Formats: sequence, C-alpha cells, structure tokens
Amino acid sequence: MCGIAGLHLKDHALRERLGSMVTGMLRGVAERGPDSAGVAIHDPGGLRVRKDVGDPLAFADRIDLAGQTGLRALAHTRMATESAVTAAHCHPFVAGTAPAADGSPAPPGGMPLDGTELCLVHNGSFANHATIRRRLAAAGVTTETDNDSEVAARYLAARLGAGDDLAAALRRLTATFDGFFTLAVTTADSFAVVRDPIGCKPAIIAETDQWVAMVSEYRALLGLPGLADATVFEPEPEEVYLWAS
Amino acid sequence: MSRYEMMSRYEMMSRYEMMSRYEMMSRDDAIDGSPVHHTFGPPVIAGIRERAELGRYPIRGWGARRAVPDFDDLLLLTASASRYPLEGYRERCDTRTVLGARRAARPVVLDIPITIAGMSFGSLSANAKEALGRAASQVGTSTTTGDGGMTPEERSASRTLVYQCLPSRYGFNPVDLRAADAVEIVLGQGAKPGGGGMLLGQKVGARVAGMRTLPEGVDQRSASRHPDWTGPDDLKIKIEEIREATDWQVPVYVKIGATRVDHDVRLAVAAGADVVVVDGMQGGTGATQDAFIEHTGIPTLAAVRLAADALADLGLTGDVGLIISGGVRTGADVAKALALGADAVSLGVAPLIALGCNAPTYRLPAAGEPAGAGAGIEVDVSAEYTALGTAPGHCTHCHTGACPVGITTQDDALAARLDPALGARRVANYLRALAMETTMLARACGKSDVHRLEPEDLVALTVEAAAMARVPLAGTDWIPGR
Ligand SMILES: Cc1cc2nc3c(=O)[nH]c(=O)nc-3n(C[C@H](O)[C@H](O)[C@H](O)COP(=O)(O)O)c2cc1C
Ligand code: SF4
Repeated sequence: MCGIAGLHLKDHALRERLGSMVTGMLRGVAERGPDSAGVAIHDPGGLRVRKDVGDPLAFADRIDLAGQTGLRALAHTRMATESAVTAAHCHPFVAGTAPAADGSPAPPGGMPLDGTELCLVHNGSFANHATIRRRLAAAGVTTETDNDSEVAARYLAARLGAGDDLAAALRRLTATFDGFFTLAVTTADSFAVVRDPIGCKPAIIAETDQWVAMVSEYRALLGLPGLADATVFEPEPEEVYLWAS
Repeated sequence: MSRYEMMSRYEMMSRYEMMSRYEMMSRDDAIDGSPVHHTFGPPVIAGIRERAELGRYPIRGWGARRAVPDFDDLLLLTASASRYPLEGYRERCDTRTVLGARRAARPVVLDIPITIAGMSFGSLSANAKEALGRAASQVGTSTTTGDGGMTPEERSASRTLVYQCLPSRYGFNPVDLRAADAVEIVLGQGAKPGGGGMLLGQKVGARVAGMRTLPEGVDQRSASRHPDWTGPDDLKIKIEEIREATDWQVPVYVKIGATRVDHDVRLAVAAGADVVVVDGMQGGTGATQDAFIEHTGIPTLAAVRLAADALADLGLTGDVGLIISGGVRTGADVAKALALGADAVSLGVAPLIALGCNAPTYRLPAAGEPAGAGAGIEVDVSAEYTALGTAPGHCTHCHTGACPVGITTQDDALAARLDPALGARRVANYLRALAMETTMLARACGKSDVHRLEPEDLVALTVEAAAMARVPLAGTDWIPGR
C-alpha cells in the first residue's frame, strides 16, 4: 500500500516551482509508504525518473527534488505488498508506448526513453494481474518485475501503442483489472486519474486555473499556492479524469 | 466433501463392494482379526468370483471409485492484507459465460459457468431428462442430449440444448441438428476413453429402441469410433459439414475423454472446435465396464491444467472455450476448475444425486398439489436397493435399469417415481447453491468475475496435486518439475 501524488501545471510560469510543490506533496504521503520512493518529472527537455529504496524524505533530499523544474510530475511512496523492496520495484513505472519496429503492439521494457513514455503510480493491489501479465507476454509485451503495478503500466502502454487514447485505455483498464486501485498516469502531454469501481483507496483532487493536483491524503495538498481558492473533490469510482496541455 | 471424508465413507461401505485393490494397498489393517492380503484382498476375491460366475466383465454406472488427486487437494488463497476481498451480495461478481463466440453467429450464453453434461435418453428416463432441462432453464444454463438422440420433451424443457453427435449416431438426424443451440462431437468420455457406449437390454424399451432403430430388449453396444471419419484431418471436414448444415449459427464443441490431453486439445482446435470439453477419469457413465472406469484416462485435475495450457500455448485462451467435467460436486470444485483455466464445468452424477439418486426414499406431490407446495408423499425404497445388492448411498446400479428412484430406468412404473417439476426444483436449487459458493470464493479472492480466478490463487496440499495442477505446494513456492 502506498502514498501517491500527481501534479499537472496549467500555468507553465510555475515550471521553476514544480520541484518544491512536489516535495511538499511527497512529504504529506511519506508515512503511507516508508519502504521506498520515486518521482517522474516531465519537462520540455524530457522525462526524468528517479527511484530508490529507503526513507522518502531522505530520498527527496538526495535527488534535490525541490530544485527540479517541470510541467507535470508523479510521486510515490511505497509500502510493499507482494513483491520485493528494490529500486526496480519502485514506482513510477515507465513504459514505452511506441509500436515496436517489428509491428508488435508495444516495445518490451528497458527501451531508452524516447518521449512516448507513459508513467504510472498506483495505490492498492490488483487481484488478477498474473493472468493479464500472461496475456501481455503472449502478445510480446514483457515485464521487468513481478510487481502488479508494472502490469498496469505495460497494459496501458500497449493499449496506447495499439491506438487507444489515454482515456479509452484507462476505461479499458478498469474493465479488465480486478482489485483496488487509485492510479495517476502521466504522458508527455497529459495527466489522468482513475479509481476502481468501488473507490476503496483514498484520492483527493484539487484544481485551480494554474494547476491540478491529486494526492492520497488531504494534508499533502497543504502549502500548494492558491489552495484556498482551489476546487477540491474526491474523484468518483471508475470515472476517468484527464487533463491535457 | 473432503477426500478424507470420502475415505471414511469407503470404510463404512462393504469392502466386498470395492472392485479396486487400490484402497486396500493403503491399509495394513485387518478384518475380524485376519490380516488383509494386499494382492488378493477381499474385493479382488469378490471380483474374481463374479467374473468366474458370469463369464464377463463387471459393468456399472458412475465414475472411478478409487481416490485420485482431485480438487480437494487444492486450496484457494483468499484475500487478507496484501489483497482485498469483495463484499458478498452487494459488490458485483459476474458469472455470465459465453461459449463459442469465435465463429458461431449465435454463441452459447449462460448465466452460470455450470452446465449439465450429456446423458442419454435411454440411460435416463424421459422424466429425468425433462427435470434436468427445466432446472437448467430456471438457472440459465444448458443441458446436453446423449447417445440416442433428442426427445421433444427435452427440447422444449431446455432453453439451451447441446446436441451430441456420437460414434453410434443413434437418433442423430438433420432436423434435430438444426433445432440445437450447439453441437457436441463426442470422441470419448472420461469413464471410458477409447470405448463405446453401452445400454443393457432391460433399458432398451419400445421408445428407446424406436429412436435408435434397434430391436427391443437386446443389449446395445455402440461404436467407439465415428463411422465416417478418423483423425483430425477428417474431423475438420466433419465439423465443416455440421457448420454448413447449421448455417454457421451454433458453436461446435468437441468432447474428449482425458488421456493424451495436450495432443487431443490441439487437434480438436486444429479441426475447428469452438469449445473443447475435457472429461477426466472420474467422469460418470450410465453403464461401462469396471475395468474401463477404474483403469483408463487421467484425473480431471491433471486434465484441466493440460487443456488450459494447450489453449494458452496456442494463444486461444478465451477464444476457444474449455469445459471440464469429471467429479465436479461443489462450488469449491467449480472455483478451482475455473482458476486452473476452465471457462465452465459440466456435471453428470451430481445433478442426478440432486434429483434423488441414492436417496432412501422418493417423493411425489400429493394428489392435486403442485410440486413443492406441500410435504407430498414420501415412499421408502431401501428394500429395492437391497434387492439390487446395494444400499442407499452406495448405489452405482444405473446399468440395471432398476433404479429405485426412477432416474436411470425405462420402466414406466419406476419412471413415474420421479416428478419432473419437483426434480427440477431440487436440481435448480443445487445449481444455484453451486453458483453462490463459486461467487463467494471468487469474491473472497477479490474477483469481480468468477472467470478472473487464476492458478496463482491456488496452492496444493499434496506433492501429487502440485505436480498435476502445476501450483505450489502449500507453504512453499515449489512446483514439482519446475
Ligand atoms: C447416466 C449417465 C449417462 C451418460 N451418458 C452419456 C452420453 O450419452 N454421452 C456422453 O458423452 N457422456 C455421457 N455421460 C458422461 C457425462 O456426459 C459426463 O462426461 C460425466 O458424467 C461427467 O462426470 P461426473 O458424472 O462426475 O459429473 C453419462 C454420464 C452418466 C452419469
Ligand atoms: S439410485 Fe438410480 S441413478 Fe442413482 S446410482 Fe442407483 S440406479 Fe443409478
């Protein structure tokens, strides 16, 4: 089980402040996931992904999260459920979405970043990922870890590679995956949130004219500029929330 | 019922009734103070005497008696902290099952993944067939004809009726073929893979004989091999012929008795099957040689995994349906079969028991009373079981036609003991209870659809079951052979 946070800037003038905003959000969800932490930051210059085991706050210091610039970010703190605590098992999971050269639906893991990546953080656990992993493998989509959340990232990437838009892929995911989940997903131009049909794992969204933020706990929003005027709501189960720049 | 309870049931039954020495081998105990001989134990002695007297093999109904690794040797890993269960009743757990959508214009759509297996009119009375048909329609599932063809009662009672095409072709005709909701080409049965059907003379009454164009009262042996094709290449042509005759409307199933399952499933698929039905060695029968029942084929547990793996390897999981049968009794059996990769299960003996098979009494509605409205009439028939040389709870005498509760008979007086409406109610209750148990277990595994159970939800209690089902031995991550 985990803490997750996502931030999407509508006002690009905040680009320099993204790192400090995300640091505050990560701090707010740190207690939910003491095992490891990770961030993915989309900047016009490209995607930066950092993950490591250990205390999330020390991790944020180590990578100078507060000093990072960007337009969109995901952050994750992990309390491992069924798979090991290693850097490879940390979220965000990143999966390429461009069709492979041989025409197979999506490239295998481990490809160099090419700007088509999708990043995913997950709070919850899936109940049928083993079957979906086998189905993906049969279609040539490989996973690098035994982590359930990675399966969701690969699945979404494969759907995008096959021509779905992100909203359609997320709707298909909710119809295909069992278990409890709140997911935050980013691509080079969009940010999306979706929850399982029961809406078991917590999620709060706050939106202003300048930014959209999604967190596991309300307190992780505190300190965001203009929060007092934000629209704050709990996302509905199974509904896809999507913002594109 | 657990296998261990089954063992104690063995203990209770007369040892002379047991034809296999397998059970004896696990016992070092003695009867009346005399040591038991393992090679020539009492059941073996009884079997030799029976053969010496009759000059033929023993024949009986039902499936293998011996204990083989089965679904009781598996356990489900339900949710706790790392996964979450779904709430009963208010959180969705689907049971809808679609079979044969790949090619047929009208696939078979069932409300539950639990179907009634092919049991012939001939082995069963017309009332029993009708009761099964009505029950299946009430719960939204299918029934299957059997050797000897389709009766009008069965067609009208059963909303979804699968029409069998067997080697004998008894009662097989294009009119009934076009009236079916699916066609099942039978290559074999788990009780007697490689063997043909059998209907003893006492069950070949006027109506059965007429439908099969056979003389009345004469023992009937049906073929073990189809007359017009052998092998998958010819089967492909046969399936095309059936598709053309049914205008590509309905799915074509292929049923095999579980032996070389991997090869046979692949060949059934190559021949064009929409659904493969795999019947394990515990599978029931109306009448078969005991040597066949106990000594051929492989357990259902091993068969389901082999079949599911073959379909997965062909990349056809979900596209080609997999129905498993042979010893399915409870919702736990259903859940485990689905977890191992079956799309549905099929039941033979169990719904007969729900109808009243092996009960000491039969029940009829009182005069003027609708079925189920009152207590009705209950008649004790224990003495008739005794006359057959058995007792309620131990009977496997379907082959005799003298069924004390009127299920496996063609005798009008006996058949009248089974009221189709009352029987249907009991079978429908039983099927509903199985579906409830299945969804209960699936929800506890966190699944919103019973078809999302997976092998990773299972562990095995014994090394044998772990090896056959290819799931880890409980408490370890060890799968023998991996
Ligand atoms: C009384 C009886 C009659 C049967 N007749 C047929 C038949 O005509 N054709 C066939 O394919 N299988 C026949 N079977 C086998 C069933 O279709 C099925 O494979 C088997 O009963 C499943 O095992 P179970 O009885 O343990 O559920 C018969 C079984 C029984 C008990
Ligand atoms: S009671 Fe009837 S149906 Fe049941 S085993 Fe005996 S003969 Fe067969």
